[in-house]
Amino acid sequence: MYEELLESWSNEKADELAKEFRFVITDMICRSGSGHIGGALSLVETIISLYWRIMKVNPKEPRWDGRDRLILSKGHAGPVLYAALAYRGYFPMQWLTTLNRDGTWLPSHVDQIRTPGVDITAGSLGQGLSCALGAAIAGKMDGKDHNVFCIVGDGESDEGQVWEAAMFAGHRKIDNLIAITDYNKMQIDGTTDEVVTLEPIVDKWRAFNWEVFEMDGHDWDDINMKISAAIAVKGKPAMIIAHTIKGMGNAAVEGQVGSHNIKIGDKTAYEKYIKALGYECRLPYGEE
Amino acid sequence: MSWHEMEMRTVYAKTLNELIAENPDVISLEADLGKASGTFPEVSSKNPGNFIDVGVAEANMIGISAGLASEGKIPFAATFTCFASRRVYDQIYISCAYANNNVKIVGTAPGLTQGSNGGTHMDFTDMAIMRAMPNMHVYAPADAYELRAVMKHMAKTKQPTYLQLIRSKEPRLFDDNYVFNPDKAVILREGSDVTIVSTGYMTKSSLKAADMLAADGIMAEVLHYPSVKPFDEIALVASASKTRKVVSVENQTIIGGLGGAVCEVLSEKCPTRVKRLGIPDKFGEVATEKYLYDKHGFGPVNIVEACKSI
Repeated sequence: MYEELLESWSNEKADELAKEFRFVITDMICRSGSGHIGGALSLVETIISLYWRIMKVNPKEPRWDGRDRLILSKGHAGPVLYAALAYRGYFPMQWLTTLNRDGTWLPSHVDQIRTPGVDITAGSLGQGLSCALGAAIAGKMDGKDHNVFCIVGDGESDEGQVWEAAMFAGHRKIDNLIAITDYNKMQIDGTTDEVVTLEPIVDKWRAFNWEVFEMDGHDWDDINMKISAAIAVKGKPAMIIAHTIKGMGNAAVEGQVGSHNIKIGDKTAYEKYIKALGYECRLPYGEE
Repeated sequence: MSWHEMEMRTVYAKTLNELIAENPDVISLEADLGKASGTFPEVSSKNPGNFIDVGVAEANMIGISAGLASEGKIPFAATFTCFASRRVYDQIYISCAYANNNVKIVGTAPGLTQGSNGGTHMDFTDMAIMRAMPNMHVYAPADAYELRAVMKHMAKTKQPTYLQLIRSKEPRLFDDNYVFNPDKAVILREGSDVTIVSTGYMTKSSLKAADMLAADGIMAEVLHYPSVKPFDEIALVASASKTRKVVSVENQTIIGGLGGAVCEVLSEKCPTRVKRLGIPDKFGEVATEKYLYDKHGFGPVNIVEACKSI
């Protein structure tokens, strides 16, 4: 679906896909009764850009050796990745109705064993950047030309292991590693400035010998420009600070600290979250 | 120089070089303890492209190893047992075992062999920690030949594995023909009066105790477990059915490690009286090995006493 966007990118068409993603993410979380909605919605434009505009992938062969890797270190944002993988054809759309259900292939936190297209298991925060670094080093050892992308949460960046990986990637000049911080500026107990500030975040990453970019994580052109620039960096790893809004596009949660994980108890709550999207959306699963 | 004339860490490093020569996907990782593990400079100078020293950052080392393994590499990540297990439990649990990434964790200087580093560095829980983790195999070879066989097996199998590596020179028990099978215990001595079950560092003491017992006319059967997980239940049940008395000996806490495995199996499949020797729910301290053996009661003399009194 949305193959035409792969052939010929248009921001208008991408907007349509983003709307559909926001519906699918909200719908799958509502169906499961709870889920990490805020940090999934903040990544919609970034993930669509990666899977429709930037990354080399082959959905028919998820572990194709020449693919670019994506490691979603903030593993709780699984729903946005599942939307991308389903719409790119890694698995049937119907799977999107099974988030967190008994025996599901789509667990709340991403799992490389269970889900086609998931490169690394994540969810216990702080580990993904190290894994991405390992994958990038392996690519260098073998002289391969693919890139390893890694999306790190801002709250996740409280973990010390993130900075162990930052220091070592800078030391080894691992330039096939492109990290993105989803800087929606909120974590579970409050804003990042209230809990543990990351500022000055750009200076921090620069001090670790990374090339650093900032982008508007909801602006197609800016995303494309900055990720392309990050890919072009040679001789050091690149970090893109993506300024995003937690819960973006769903008025019931947008910009709210409480959007990290919501509970949906009944049909009334379900309708509230769907209506809060502010637009009509067809069910993509072939059901009423 | 024969393998048994070298320190085990030298054997580890030289064997890694052999494995790298056979398969360039084998990678040696260190967290600033390459000299202690024997890989620096033995591996770092001979195979610099296959050697990664991440600095004092064990969590990062485990994550990098998982990423390497996800790309088909075969990482051997080594550091002291305390840092290789308790410090990075969650990293190993999620990035290696749960994700089933083919990472080989190597814990060096196990248990009381940490000596003068004392209680902070003396880890008695690594085997219990690792054994409780699904997918994880746990190996503790006793001599240089067994170590080499175990490492060759590890390099050929896709299996998250924890290897307990004794750094010192160890007495020879096996030879170059030794074949490691993780599903099999090794019967080092047959006997009918009592069964001594041991692993890794303690097997030489078990054999010494068996000699002392033989002098008193007591025939001990010595079962050596190079693999604590998987655990060869058949060999244990067969021996316990014969002797009806089992003494387990390990260089770590008696809770959840080898002794735990022995009791779990026997209580379900062959109820037998068992005496567990090892560290009895205590922390370590700076001391000589003899002092610690005596204090915690699991040296050869204690094994003999246990076998006689059980």
